[in-house]
Amino acid sequence: MDNQPLTIHSWPRAILHLDADAFFASCEQAIHPELRGKPVITGKERGIVAAASYEAKARGVKRGMSLYEVKKVCPDIVILPSDYETYSLFSLRMFEILRRFSPDVEGYSIDEAFVELTGLRRSFHGSYGMIAQKMQETVEAELGLTVSVGLSITKVLAKIGSKHNKPHGLTVIPGRDIHLYLKDLPVEKVWGIGPNTAAFLRKFGIMTALQFAKKDEHFIKNHLSKPYQEIWHELNGRSVYPVTTEEKSSYQSISKAKTFTPPSNDETFIFAQLAKNLENACIKARRYNLAATKLIIFLRTKEFRNTGIELKLSRPTAYPSDLFGPLREGFKRIYELYSFYRQTGIVLAGLVSETGVQYTLFDDPARIEKMSRIYHAVDDLSRKFGKYTVCHAASLPTKKQTQHEGERGDVPQRITHLFRGENRRQRLGLPLLHIKV
Amino acid sequence: MCHCYIPSLLTVNYRSLYNETVKNKVREDKLRSRIRKIARFYYQKGRMPSFSEIAEITGFQSKNAVFKLVNKLEKLKVLERDDKGRLIALSIAAPVKLLGTVEAGFPSPAEEELADNLSLDDLLIQNPEATFLLKVSGDSMSEAGILPGDMVLVDKGEQPKNGDIVIAEVDGQWTMKYLRKRGENVMLLPANPKYQPIKPKKELKISGVVTAVVRKYR
Repeated sequence: MDNQPLTIHSWPRAILHLDADAFFASCEQAIHPELRGKPVITGKERGIVAAASYEAKARGVKRGMSLYEVKKVCPDIVILPSDYETYSLFSLRMFEILRRFSPDVEGYSIDEAFVELTGLRRSFHGSYGMIAQKMQETVEAELGLTVSVGLSITKVLAKIGSKHNKPHGLTVIPGRDIHLYLKDLPVEKVWGIGPNTAAFLRKFGIMTALQFAKKDEHFIKNHLSKPYQEIWHELNGRSVYPVTTEEKSSYQSISKAKTFTPPSNDETFIFAQLAKNLENACIKARRYNLAATKLIIFLRTKEFRNTGIELKLSRPTAYPSDLFGPLREGFKRIYELYSFYRQTGIVLAGLVSETGVQYTLFDDPARIEKMSRIYHAVDDLSRKFGKYTVCHAASLPTKKQTQHEGERGDVPQRITHLFRGENRRQRLGLPLLHIKV
Repeated sequence: MCHCYIPSLLTVNYRSLYNETVKNKVREDKLRSRIRKIARFYYQKGRMPSFSEIAEITGFQSKNAVFKLVNKLEKLKVLERDDKGRLIALSIAAPVKLLGTVEAGFPSPAEEELADNLSLDDLLIQNPEATFLLKVSGDSMSEAGILPGDMVLVDKGEQPKNGDIVIAEVDGQWTMKYLRKRGENVMLLPANPKYQPIKPKKELKISGVVTAVVRKYR
């Protein structure tokens, strides 16, 4: 029964999933060639492993490990602060290279993309597998990092392909071979199926992805909700999820949180951290023309205890000066004197389109109009001179201590190795190679 | 796209006119906008309008109003009349671009010319996805005009050719040199007599081709 193909159509569609291998660590190895072949991790500023190179993984380093533990299992580890500026540049370039092959590229996350290749065999005079191989080679040659590629007839299957053989793998799963790849795959390894669903499925004797795919539609419809029904179709080679090429233009909520070391019990400093998060979130909301109807504030103590509060706003807004009132009120209610805090965060929730904002009877439209002009000017200034050119005085006490004191305060080299004309906020949009020549 | 033209001579004459007679700014703005309308007509049609056409574009009801306007403009040397009473463009024909309320002294560049401009980015970077920055620290390429502290652009997508300046790893050492290829023979040549040519013993890995050098003085 396991040898029965799930579908006899080899390529009704062709969808490619590309996943960069140990992306952050690989970017660092690409710009620091002397680090190639060495165990490298990023995340120094967070105190935990954000990404580990394959050399580090081989030594037992895992994501989320504390740096102290890492040094114990791998004493010669190279620990770097995250350089998100460079990683973002690599990510954009990766997507841009993929767009040379097909216009339908979906940047799924910073290091993953889906590409719709259906119908492109004729323009490349070769099989889908050959196109996939060419894409992989081009990305690897031009960016100097390795990627794993999966090619199949649905997104879920393409993703299984890219995970099948990592790093630097290329796995092609035509329709008639699907069952061969699902046979030994635990069902929780399928994209979208978590430990809870997997445990639920085990109750029905479903252990592998193939057993799940072979269940009849009646069972699936009776026991599982829509997202899992969709995954079931995708596993059977019926494409449900399209490759969406539009960039994300809207959000349900926007959150900003920042950790600082050492933890602090200074009330003005902690409030300033919140205020800065609020300003940041508002900048993003305004960029997408959104306004918040709810404000959520949370604090995390030194002991990793969380407290939070949700506040309803009288009018949707994306202006910090509207929000400072509720922010201070909420802060007073959850802040405990003498407690040490290590992180603050805010969430702008219930976002609505800014254009549809209705004024209430008690609003002063003239004042709101004035505020809109002020923040417009602030945004213009930021565009021209860099972020935080103008900020609220409430955020200023964040400067009392640097974000991370001590060893964790190390900043990426890109920020310290400036060219004439660059500054801390504005730099050329090209990755910098750290080679001494 | 709509350009506003205004006679360049007008500024000077206008000021005296303003001081002598015109009491309020509203009148000045009105006149300005009428001149602009006539100028626009002149640029679109390539000729001056007739009296009735002026009435149409300015919204005047009578030819008499047009007559008075023309007299005023004639005094300002914006235009004049020939012996048959037809209008001839004077300063209205010399266009200057109106930038806010300040008139710039140069004629506006034609749109088509602007569209063909290359930015410095386009000029220096052929392959945007594969181009990296590198800060030079050594002086081995000084005679090629690359000095310590300079910024070079390195293209990883280009196929290295004989004579290119390349970034290469030779036997475990990184270097920037001219690439010399003669058949099977590959050499790396410095552009500074203080340094020796390099002949790879074991391994040569070319990581990119230098496509430009940038040096900013201030």
